[in-house]
Amino acid sequence: MKPLNYAILKHFTKVDEACAEEVIESLRGEYGKFKALNKKAVISALMTAEANGLLEETRFELDQAGEIRIYYHAHEEGADTINKYIKD
Amino acid sequence: MKEVTGAANAAAVTAKNKLASQFFKKGIIIALFSGVMYGFYSAFLTLGMSKGVWGDWYGANTAALSAFVITYLLGALGSAVNDTCSAGWALLNIGVKSKMGDFIRTLNTKPGRVMILAALVGGPISSTAYVVGLQMAGSIVIPITALCPAIGAILGRILFKQQLTKRMMLGIAICVTASFMIGSTSISGDAPEGMFLGICIAFIAALGWGFEGCVAGYGTSMIDYEIGITIRQSISGLSNLIILLPIFGMLSGDVSISADLAVQAFTSGPAMIWIALAGFCAFISYMSWYRGNSMCGAALGMACNGTYSFWGPFCCWIVLGVFAGMKGWALPPIVWIAAVLMVFGILVIAMNPLDLFRKKGNQEPMDQKKVG
Repeated sequence: MKPLNYAILKHFTKVDEACAEEVIESLRGEYGKFKALNKKAVISALMTAEANGLLEETRFELDQAGEIRIYYHAHEEGADTINKYIKD
Repeated sequence: MKEVTGAANAAAVTAKNKLASQFFKKGIIIALFSGVMYGFYSAFLTLGMSKGVWGDWYGANTAALSAFVITYLLGALGSAVNDTCSAGWALLNIGVKSKMGDFIRTLNTKPGRVMILAALVGGPISSTAYVVGLQMAGSIVIPITALCPAIGAILGRILFKQQLTKRMMLGIAICVTASFMIGSTSISGDAPEGMFLGICIAFIAALGWGFEGCVAGYGTSMIDYEIGITIRQSISGLSNLIILLPIFGMLSGDVSISADLAVQAFTSGPAMIWIALAGFCAFISYMSWYRGNSMCGAALGMACNGTYSFWGPFCCWIVLGVFAGMKGWALPPIVWIAAVLMVFGILVIAMNPLDLFRKKGNQEPMDQKKVG
């Protein structure tokens, strides 16, 4: 089992794109009991990864509750860096 | 789901820009807060190291400690006790938040090992270089440590391709100048032999702290920041206690003295109350430093954290001068002038100050993006 933050980043090396809600849904099985697996913390982790060049934004939209939902993907360099530092 | 295009969904664009702006501003506030907490950590540690058994060591010295022990070993001991307390707070925090498992899992990973390296470089290595430099060259080395934000920004550019424009370099230069102005108030007329070597050794400290801020800030983009700071403080506290103190003990000619003094320091109640508080402030300060750097880049994050060169004397004045009634902690006017200059420097790094005078819609985007 990897640390939660590693699993969040690693998820982006396996999918074309994802938003915070999709990441949470995907990791719920293994990390469901983790307090840090919540929308606010995951959005913060994704924005930090973006600010450090690991992920980049692909698109955004408003969800049904009127909240912004941003999709990210790991570009080639970002995915290489994630895979270099975080092993499976 | 439809892709958002231009004015078709202005509400989404507005919401997205608001979120990005909030994240950037939050990063700056967190990084500035790290400087404030660094000031309180310095003040409470100084207060703690004047109470209990420390009062005797630095005062009457009934234990008959040598000048070497008082100068080098006690400084390292204070740092070790503080970092160990700080590690205790950090462990308590992750325990409450159920992150202990992730902390252990992170230790033996590549980012975890990089964080350990940053902790060793920024902890015992830089702290020792600073103390040794201070002893060899005198107080002239104090402003040299103000270079660490500039070093961090340059390393961030080289190692992680973070943005560093001419305007940002100008802002960093303004901040370093302001820190230098504050540090220069500590310079006395001392110019001992070996001053040049001492200055070079102090530069190693600035280099180490710059490296730590930049590397640990980037590391926090992969490691949860609360786990990152727990690694930092645990490694720093342990390495100070297990490696640095025995080395200073050996150099003083009595290897057992470091253990004896450490036991006395940890059991000195009147001092430990304040050092535990200092450790808490250090925990918050370093955690905010790492997090702030990871949110807004090493250049801006370290410049905001660098305001500790103002907050240090300011908090010492409040805690030691006003609260504890000690004399000699009042702030000279140059410190206030430098503080204003520092705010301007941070503004120059964060944004083009001319934008403040332009229409709101014409502002250039904030500098949170990195060069690819």
